[in-house]
Amino acid sequence: MEEEKKFVGGWGKGNKMGERRPEDICWKERWVDVGSAVRLLDLSAMSQMQRSFSIDLPSLRLPSRRETHLWYILPDEVKSTSLLKRYSQLLSQTEKDRVDQMRGDELKKNALLARTLVRTTIARYQTNEAVDPRSLMFKKNMYGKPELDWQNCNVQPLHFNISHTDSLIACGVTVHVPVGIDVEDKERKIKHDVLTFAKRFYSADEVNCLATILDPEAQRKEFIKLWTLKEAYVKALGKGFSAAPFNTFTIQSNPGGYNLCKTSEITANPLEETKKCNGGWKFALLELADSHYAAVCTEDDQADEGAPMRVIVRKTIPFVEDQLILKEYFCN
Amino acid sequence: MASLSATSLSFKAPSIQSTRISQVLRKPSSFQSISFGGFQSSKSLRLQISCAAKPETVQKVSDIVKEQLALSADTALTAESKFSALGADSLDTVEIVMALEEKFNISVEESDAQNITTIQEAADLIEDLVQKKPAA
Repeated sequence: MEEEKKFVGGWGKGNKMGERRPEDICWKERWVDVGSAVRLLDLSAMSQMQRSFSIDLPSLRLPSRRETHLWYILPDEVKSTSLLKRYSQLLSQTEKDRVDQMRGDELKKNALLARTLVRTTIARYQTNEAVDPRSLMFKKNMYGKPELDWQNCNVQPLHFNISHTDSLIACGVTVHVPVGIDVEDKERKIKHDVLTFAKRFYSADEVNCLATILDPEAQRKEFIKLWTLKEAYVKALGKGFSAAPFNTFTIQSNPGGYNLCKTSEITANPLEETKKCNGGWKFALLELADSHYAAVCTEDDQADEGAPMRVIVRKTIPFVEDQLILKEYFCN
Repeated sequence: MASLSATSLSFKAPSIQSTRISQVLRKPSSFQSISFGGFQSSKSLRLQISCAAKPETVQKVSDIVKEQLALSADTALTAESKFSALGADSLDTVEIVMALEEKFNISVEESDAQNITTIQEAADLIEDLVQKKPAA
């Protein structure tokens, strides 16, 4: 039976309880650095966790190269109608219209939280002066991927990507390279048989890998992990699903981490299909809130090829609090 | 999905009859090709020459969507209902497509699968593929 690891491929472990970053003078945090084998937080540690409160949006240090900042909101923790009203005031008219289009209060709320998370998070990374989240403008690349229109609003060029489920909304932020993220509920049930689904959509190597997992539950979990990793890659690539159909690339699971292998058919003979596994992309797979898998994919800068990706995860309720969850390195 | 919605052109009446008319009116919008799924010029061409899907097809698609998204039986779905507005993510969309393939005994290209955003689009695609199948 496969032992469930909390974080895959991490190194740079070590307990760093109570460390404060020098630049966070007003922003008091305590956090626990979690190694890959250690369970995240027992209840007593949780009660000692000092949360940070702020009236406005405290500014943030930009992600460094090779760093992805991953932010998430748990909709169940946001109940205050006055807070939700405050959030809705941040949205553009187009965004408000899209929220209204959602069918049902829960979906409307989550759509609102998603846009709020994007606007408030990006606004906090602006180093020159405080930026009003309402003033941020967004555009789409030629394939439809949402991007920050940074030139038109005089802000730092950042890359971001959102993903959400019913119970968690996440946003990844990077500086130098495009990022893609995907989150899925760990317990998500697939209506079809997992292998049938995989044979239809995944690559042959991935199907073979899944087929070796005999326990149906473990197989389902692996399927979901692969889904998030593949989605994260396609979203990082930013060219739409047609540019990278799921069966044309393999996410390879190694002891150290995950790798991308692109299948290219050089000749008409399928036996000569070759795989390029030096990727050009970095992956991280983590668990959030004990309930979700989250995959992060960033493009490899040529200078950084082979270097690990650092991920900093924070849970947030905009205008209320942040909670630093982890800082971890993910190898390829 | 960034596809241009032509609801400003179509009638808002809920009946399928007016939907069919609005589908015809919607023909000039080849802007549908500029969506997150990449250029779909062949797809919009297909919409131009085929008629809108039969009401029964739309109904069958609605039933499958309701089941996949676990919507209550009395959720009102129209042909224009967008999957994303109903809370479907990409995994749901793919599962819906697989269910449609099984139900209608067709095979959907992955690029088409990922680009279905409404019940109408799913129904149109199905009828198109059913039509193209060689006679049994």
